[in-house]
Amino acid sequence: MSVIDSLRQQIAACEAQLATLRQQLAEAEHLQLQSRRQAQEEVQPATFDPLTHDMSYGIHDDFRSEVFAALSHGDGSEQPPRSRWPLDKMEYKRYGRQLIMPEVGLQGQLRLKKTSVLIVGVGGLGCPSAAYLVGAGVGTVGLVDGDTVEESNLHRQILHSTARVGMTKVESAMVALNSLNPNVKLVPHAARLTPDTALSIFKDYDIVLDCTDSPASRYLISDTCVLLGKPLVSASALRTDGQLMVLNNPPLPPGDAAGGPCYRCVFPKPPPPESVVSCGDGGILGPVVGTMGVLQALEAIKVITRGVHSSVRGPAEAPSLLIFSAYATQMFRTIRLRTRKPKCAACSAQATVTPEALNSGSLDYVQFCGTINPVDALSPNERISVENYAKLRTGRNPITGTEVSADSHVLVDVREKVQFDLCSLEGSVNIPFSAVSRLRVGDDAVKIPATEEEERWIAELKARGDKPLFVVCRLGNDSQMTVKKLKAMGLDNGGQRWIGDIKGGLRAWREKVDHEFPDY
Amino acid sequence: MGPSASPAGHFVVLYFAAAASYTGKTSEHLASPMAAGELFGRLEQLYPGIRARVLESCAVTVNLQYINLDGDDAEGARVLLKEGDEVAIIPPVSSG
Repeated sequence: MSVIDSLRQQIAACEAQLATLRQQLAEAEHLQLQSRRQAQEEVQPATFDPLTHDMSYGIHDDFRSEVFAALSHGDGSEQPPRSRWPLDKMEYKRYGRQLIMPEVGLQGQLRLKKTSVLIVGVGGLGCPSAAYLVGAGVGTVGLVDGDTVEESNLHRQILHSTARVGMTKVESAMVALNSLNPNVKLVPHAARLTPDTALSIFKDYDIVLDCTDSPASRYLISDTCVLLGKPLVSASALRTDGQLMVLNNPPLPPGDAAGGPCYRCVFPKPPPPESVVSCGDGGILGPVVGTMGVLQALEAIKVITRGVHSSVRGPAEAPSLLIFSAYATQMFRTIRLRTRKPKCAACSAQATVTPEALNSGSLDYVQFCGTINPVDALSPNERISVENYAKLRTGRNPITGTEVSADSHVLVDVREKVQFDLCSLEGSVNIPFSAVSRLRVGDDAVKIPATEEEERWIAELKARGDKPLFVVCRLGNDSQMTVKKLKAMGLDNGGQRWIGDIKGGLRAWREKVDHEFPDY
Repeated sequence: MGPSASPAGHFVVLYFAAAASYTGKTSEHLASPMAAGELFGRLEQLYPGIRARVLESCAVTVNLQYINLDGDDAEGARVLLKEGDEVAIIPPVSSG
């Protein structure tokens, strides 16, 4: 770790400690004031109680209440003792705006207060959902995350701050949540969720929110919730799309057809690993993931206030999948889901997911969802290091040492256009990888003819057919696939023209050649 | 999302998330009637590779109702896609 990172972390830690101390001071002062007031109330004799006077006759109701209000105003000696009311005086004030709603009311607030919620993932979904649940006065909130705060998280992960970059996400979130509502008990679980820890962490909570970012964790969380009988609010977001489901609700034992469906009932097969795109690669708009996180908090509040752990639980809503498409004319669509799948691996009578299987590690979620091997599609003589490519750009052939002219080669950048527009190497030609992969070669070419756009760039590459062709991308994977494709299309003139990729892509270029090249 | 009103003798297919990326479209019209069990095969003809890379992990709905196409004996395969139906291809989104 660099000195700067270490200092940053220390500052963040001190700031967090300071915030906690300030909070504790404020609370202590508040309590002292309260107990002093109480003591005063106790020593004062009850002198005049307007409530004992019978004013029922001959006085208009409105007037009477006005009189009472005026009489009770002033010395405050009629304040009932705190224990007379089911909620704390401070709680009536803090939660007043939601307390007066029939959807919550006193019973709902008491249910919130005695409920413990586990939030797995304190990122784009977890931050807003935790903020609203802590704000609403849930009794206990557990936070699971093994990551630390990065600068690129801040545009959407609203509990973290610039000063807390480098701190663990769990610690950072606790600072923010504690200042939002110090009455909520926060429980840190600052490690990545794994199959052997899931059951022991989940068992102490009443309801779980899946705010994670990978298929493997989604199946693990769903299975654990089914095994322990916890309702699950699951959400996800990528680019401009989001999904939301309340699963395993009601949380009846596996095999009970009246229970709500689980994640496996809806998505029995994981997506192929190479098709899984992270927010880092695909992008994400803050308010899109924020919307999904806020909706998760809303669904959790609905489940809790209806009575998550009471036997007299209200009827659960019919299971549904909400689809959010931020840029479509119809932003929200609600799909009616089926009941539990009769052959579901987790929640049916034929379930193979058991606590023993989970604990023993025989359920391999990473394997189930598949992993992507680092792309290694090319031979060494089809590749060039960034250092050698840099020499070539300065006008010298790194292998032969001979002088070469500046336009001695063609450089193709296969990042998507929007990324190419952010920053690119001078003289490079942009052919997005999506366009490259759409193009069919061989037998497929007959079925899908090339479009005009594709004809244009193919012609352009053919026109400079005598020059070696270098392909670059962001990380060095797409560039390899492109080289293979271009060769399959015959652009290497049967091996006469050199086509190869720049190893490690623009990331390696930034790390080893040009430190000023933007890191996005 | 594209127009939901289908021309005569067609139903509309809506593509979400990875399905939209793969097809390059958010919706299109296909000729009706068609058994739901034949849908993936038809889409594979139109977009080679889409079945393995996208469709097999997707949820499929007809008129906002989930249908089960998982497994050989899936009862959803017999659902008939009729003129004017709205079919949605919903890949799991797992990021967050």
